[in-house]
Amino acid sequence: MSLKRELPTSTLSGFALSGLLVLTILNILLQNMPNKIQTAGEALLKLNTQEGVANAVTTVVVYFRGFDTLGEIAVLFIASLGIGLILHTNSRCDIKAESNFMLQTASKILFPIIMLFGVYVMIYGHLSPGGGFQGGVIIASGVLLLLISYKTFEVPHAVIVALETFAGVSYVLIGLIGLVVLDTFLGNFLPHDISQMGMLLSGGIIPLIYIIVGIKVGSEMSMIVQNLIQRSNDV
Amino acid sequence: MFEFLNQPEVIKVIVTIGSMLLFFVGLFGLLTRKHIIKIFISIAIMESSIFLLFIGLTFNMDFIAPILDSTHVNVSNMNDPVPHAMILTAIVIGMAVLALGLSFAIEYFKLTGKTNIDEMNEMRH
Repeated sequence: MSLKRELPTSTLSGFALSGLLVLTILNILLQNMPNKIQTAGEALLKLNTQEGVANAVTTVVVYFRGFDTLGEIAVLFIASLGIGLILHTNSRCDIKAESNFMLQTASKILFPIIMLFGVYVMIYGHLSPGGGFQGGVIIASGVLLLLISYKTFEVPHAVIVALETFAGVSYVLIGLIGLVVLDTFLGNFLPHDISQMGMLLSGGIIPLIYIIVGIKVGSEMSMIVQNLIQRSNDV
Repeated sequence: MFEFLNQPEVIKVIVTIGSMLLFFVGLFGLLTRKHIIKIFISIAIMESSIFLLFIGLTFNMDFIAPILDSTHVNVSNMNDPVPHAMILTAIVIGMAVLALGLSFAIEYFKLTGKTNIDEMNEMRH
């Protein structure tokens, strides 16, 4: 193998050993820290009770790190844009293997259930494990099932554009309304009483933002999946 | 027989060594394979080892998930939610970068018909 010529085994194993040693020392240092130290997570968990949202991970992602999530959505949008620019074609390749009858019948049954599960994970993101990113990816997997089952199926482009625009604009608008009302970007201006914690309508803007994130992630992932599966005929 | 594995120190050492081994599996694939899609898969394996290290180091078996309700209002015995949120971000970014890289590889294969990185020398001349 040509690796042996360029990188000797002793170099590679020394590299591996030093990495392992560094991580072990770091681990020992981390374990010997005093137990009563206040981590950022504990402080955020205490703050979390003020927002009335049951799932603390959702509060951290959407509220305390809401601006970062906006940037993350922008990164995902730029990746989707790049994939669309590189791979977009108007004609679909004839996939050699015909999708069989069982796959077509099963996708008719499974697609509504996958969609329903995705929307459930998205809407209940502030109460249970899950949320916008996970729900959006589940919805995109349902779209992938349709794409491999039916050769003529295509994701409607106008709908995707409308959904993505709506989601991006409303995320920024909610943040700006918070800026006007409460003097902080993405301030929680809707009622978020702690007595409502655990109910579907609780947490103010946090479930709204996670649903918006879910719409955006679902539409972008669907477009990525379609662009990756779609190939031009002239290969 | 295996009760000693439940101690937090042992779990953290196992997580560290296991994720480092997974990292070096990915690094070995990155250095030895020549097919460009296999290289992207190696990068994805290295990413997942970092995710495991981050979550595993802050995980405590005696603590519960950071989900509050009327019976779990005591936040002192909950796991730290910050690494979960960071890793959620990292997973999404890693997926986007991987998909973009794969699309570059597909387009390059369409233009030149090459997948071996040793033959990708168009810019050399």
